[in-house]
Amino acid sequence: MSDAVAQKRPLALNAIIYGFIVLWVILAAVPFFWTVWGSFKVEADFFSRESWWNAIFGTSTTRQTGNAFTGAGYYGAWVLRDFWRAAGNTIIVTVCVTVISLTLGTLGGYALARSGRNYAFWILIAALVFRAMPHITLVSGYLLPFFQLNIWGVLPTSIIVLVAINQPFTLWMLHSFFLSIPKDLDESAMVDGCTRFQAFRLVIMPVMWPGVVTTGLFSFLLGYNDFAVTAMLLSAENQTMVPKISSFLGSIQETGNVMYAVAAVVSATVPLFILVLFFQRQIVSGLTAGAVKG
Amino acid sequence: MAQIRLKNVSKRWNNFVGVDNFNLDIADQEFLVLLGPSGCGKTTTMRMIAGLEEITEGEIWIGDRLVNKLEPKDRDISMVFQSYGLYPNMTVYENIRFPLKVRKVPQEQHHERVMAASKMVELDDFLQRRPAALSGGQRQRVALARAIVREPNAFLMDEPLSNLDAKLRVSTRAQIKNLHHTLKRTTIYVTHDQIEAMTLADRVVVMSKGLVQQVGTPMEIYDRPANTFVASFIGSPAMNLIKGSIEGGVFTSEGIRIEGLTLAAKGPVTLGFRAEDASLAQASGQIEAPIYTVELLGDATMLSMRVAGELVSIKVNKDYRAEIGELARVAIPASACHLFDHSTGARIA
Amino acid sequence: MPNKTFFAFILPSLIAMVLFIALPIVSVVVQSLYVAHERVMVQVENCQPFGGCSTELRVDAAATAELQREQPLGRFNGLGTYFNRAHLATDELGAILSSDRSFDQKVAQIFNLPFYKALIFTLVYCFVVTPLAMALGFAIALAVNALPKVTKGPIIFFSLLPMIITPLIGSLILYWMLSPNGILGATIQHIFNDPTLSLRASPVLTWTALLVYGVWTNGPFSFVVFYAGLQTVPADTLESAMIDGASRWERIRYVIIPHLAPLATFVALVQLMDNFRVFEPIVGFSAEANATSLSYLIYNDLSGDAQQFGSAGATSVITIIGVVILLMPVLIRTWREFKLKAV
Ligand SMILES: Nc1ncnc2c1ncn2[C@@H]1O[C@H](COP(=O)(O)OP(=O)(O)OP(=O)(O)O)[C@@H](O)[C@H]1O
Ligand SMILES: [Mg+2]
Repeated sequence: MSDAVAQKRPLALNAIIYGFIVLWVILAAVPFFWTVWGSFKVEADFFSRESWWNAIFGTSTTRQTGNAFTGAGYYGAWVLRDFWRAAGNTIIVTVCVTVISLTLGTLGGYALARSGRNYAFWILIAALVFRAMPHITLVSGYLLPFFQLNIWGVLPTSIIVLVAINQPFTLWMLHSFFLSIPKDLDESAMVDGCTRFQAFRLVIMPVMWPGVVTTGLFSFLLGYNDFAVTAMLLSAENQTMVPKISSFLGSIQETGNVMYAVAAVVSATVPLFILVLFFQRQIVSGLTAGAVKG
Repeated sequence: MAQIRLKNVSKRWNNFVGVDNFNLDIADQEFLVLLGPSGCGKTTTMRMIAGLEEITEGEIWIGDRLVNKLEPKDRDISMVFQSYGLYPNMTVYENIRFPLKVRKVPQEQHHERVMAASKMVELDDFLQRRPAALSGGQRQRVALARAIVREPNAFLMDEPLSNLDAKLRVSTRAQIKNLHHTLKRTTIYVTHDQIEAMTLADRVVVMSKGLVQQVGTPMEIYDRPANTFVASFIGSPAMNLIKGSIEGGVFTSEGIRIEGLTLAAKGPVTLGFRAEDASLAQASGQIEAPIYTVELLGDATMLSMRVAGELVSIKVNKDYRAEIGELARVAIPASACHLFDHSTGARIA
Repeated sequence: MPNKTFFAFILPSLIAMVLFIALPIVSVVVQSLYVAHERVMVQVENCQPFGGCSTELRVDAAATAELQREQPLGRFNGLGTYFNRAHLATDELGAILSSDRSFDQKVAQIFNLPFYKALIFTLVYCFVVTPLAMALGFAIALAVNALPKVTKGPIIFFSLLPMIITPLIGSLILYWMLSPNGILGATIQHIFNDPTLSLRASPVLTWTALLVYGVWTNGPFSFVVFYAGLQTVPADTLESAMIDGASRWERIRYVIIPHLAPLATFVALVQLMDNFRVFEPIVGFSAEANATSLSYLIYNDLSGDAQQFGSAGATSVITIIGVVILLMPVLIRTWREFKLKAV
């Protein structure tokens, strides 16, 4: 349809539309490409006093290393500053958070979608309020008890906290996906001889995968992107990537090794790129499922 | 052995009454039809029997077990849903086999029983397809096959034909009737289509607004409707109902006068008669009124005229032709008349 | 679904939420009523070989630690923390308002109170970024909808990036570009012909940068939701509007915008909630000198060497009250609908 309409559009309007889109794509994408490109330069190029063309051609980089590209930032971050450990922690945290969130969330979301009772409604409303709580306010409630219980600083604590913080959103989203599966299906299964749980496992879950994958993506993003919880609840040696990058900033800027941070930032961005590349459809459908942004 | 007995069964949501004080004994092997307009509580009744809906009040017995607290799976019934409820991720074969699998029927019987069931509903050619690749009628038959494959105590069917086109409906209806004859299982069948009810049922339960209006064989319900609701719900066209008064066996209202009625009482009543019981009179009839419309149905011609403010239908010979506005005289034998209380609508004669 | 089954299914999730969301809120409220212990002082006699003796007050570290261990919350302070200078600062506020300085000076002074500085920025961020991001998203959605099919996929891909990027990382990337030696920062200095202009030096630039970052990262969400909404605009309504002679703009005004209005409420709600907790950009932009937010205040209280749980608690409670006020319209509407349904 849009092709047919496009022909009727006046030229000027078309020019505005295309110009606007090009501008937006530049705004959206160029910061990333700029930083990726710059991460292979030395600091004098990426933060060039003379001209930003240096960042593109790598003038100082060539002067200092003999090559227009250098992996020094990556070497510094990953090897000298143990970024690999943070990456490993991030993998552990995000995988655990995603898996546990989905396990609890599918069970709970299914119950909420299939119970017509008032309390199910109130649980959903409570979840909405919980979802709106700034994470850092919750964190300020955790610290003292966690110190007392001596569970501060370790990965499992952060994982459980992230799972819990993620639950309201997961419940809402999965609940709306479950609502789109006809009730007849579980009821047939129960008449055919299943318990509620068997119906859930054998009949509903197999058709629920798209919803689970989409929700899983957002759980993953929450765990991956979190700063408030992981920065406050993890000890220095257990840090995940994001708090690690933030701790780089303090120590690195003094020693002039800001390129370590740039390299770490780029390293942490790549998985997100890949994620969008492969799951663009699911992300879009998740955002529009009438559910709530992650 | 599966009689099903409902004792004072009610269903309420907050203060909305879905089903009110339902009492019924369903005999073993009976084909019982629940009939009524949309929203009258048919599905709710059936779902309470299946265990999919909690019972607010009363008792349901299947065989000699009180099943109120039993899970659906423990009630040994099978159900065909209005939208079929097929498992979209399984093939037809797996769909039909599913009840055997979850009920831990020995593996070696599966194939044979699936094949027998699918043969019975003529599905053999589609066993490896997914439900999405089937037509409505074929899906319907998969649902039937899945219901019959494990030979339960009773079948429950919730408007199984409502998504089919008119022609398929007729043939599937015949198939269901035949299945019931072969399998000899108690069957409860929900519909709002009275032709289905008439053709399939041993007994019909007519419901309205959560209340049972009448229970009886199709002929009883047609010939002796218990009240004006049943009278106006059963039959096509519905029974003509005219408000008027009776005195000394003579019913009168504006434009109508019928003598020779057996009711001795005196006062306001509602009189009912069926379109096909009336005929055109030559000289003088019980009704004389100008024709309002003439509808040619093919096998008959339907006249309608205004009597006492109501539109009254008369079924006449298919060759009859008349102009709108022409005067028609209609004869109504007193023996074909039904009389109902004018306020409660209950049958009085 | 029977109650028993329902709770069997939802219990794990419910426990997680009660334990780690509901209880912490309670814990925050309790904490906010306490402040750290005063240090235990002891008198020590200090005798010097030639100077005689003097008594001196000293901190008894052991006793302080002991007290701290016995009562980790600190000592009860009632609502004191809420009204002190670092929070609602009622005394200071009263003094400022009743003084006879000019309006500008008053504003500047209020801005010096940490809580109000954070609150003002948080609210500005919320109510500037949300509408601008929605407008941007809507414009992108309209434009993308008008493009040929093949280009849509890649454009959506690039559009998603600012949204899914880790907030701290996204703000760092922009911060580096905006630093005086970065490409944007240098360009800005060049444009304004002011070699000292920088994020650190200019509050205006800092606020602008944060707001621009907010629109940049929030726009895509509106875009995606509105774009999906545009796909469901009934074609026959559009066509009949066309036949009725509506111009392009009138079609947008009278058909498309009303169709998207419910979605817009949803987007606005979600973004207000998210923007109210703005936090990472302030860390990323190292903006705390010029702009802070409520969340940042809490973070700051918690991350110093001496963690001020009472202070963090009080700010948290005020923040939570703010969230509830933001959500109020939704809650009231839901409650009304629920009442209607129940009757
Ligand atoms: N979960 C529920 N909560 C509240 N009311 C309900 C619920 N389920 C059904 N009802 C109401 O109970 C009444 C009976 O519903 P039921 O589904 O039994 O009707 P039905 O006779 O099967 O109608 P149809 O022919 O349209 O299928 C309806 O008015 C319906 O609105
Ligand atoms: Mg029904």
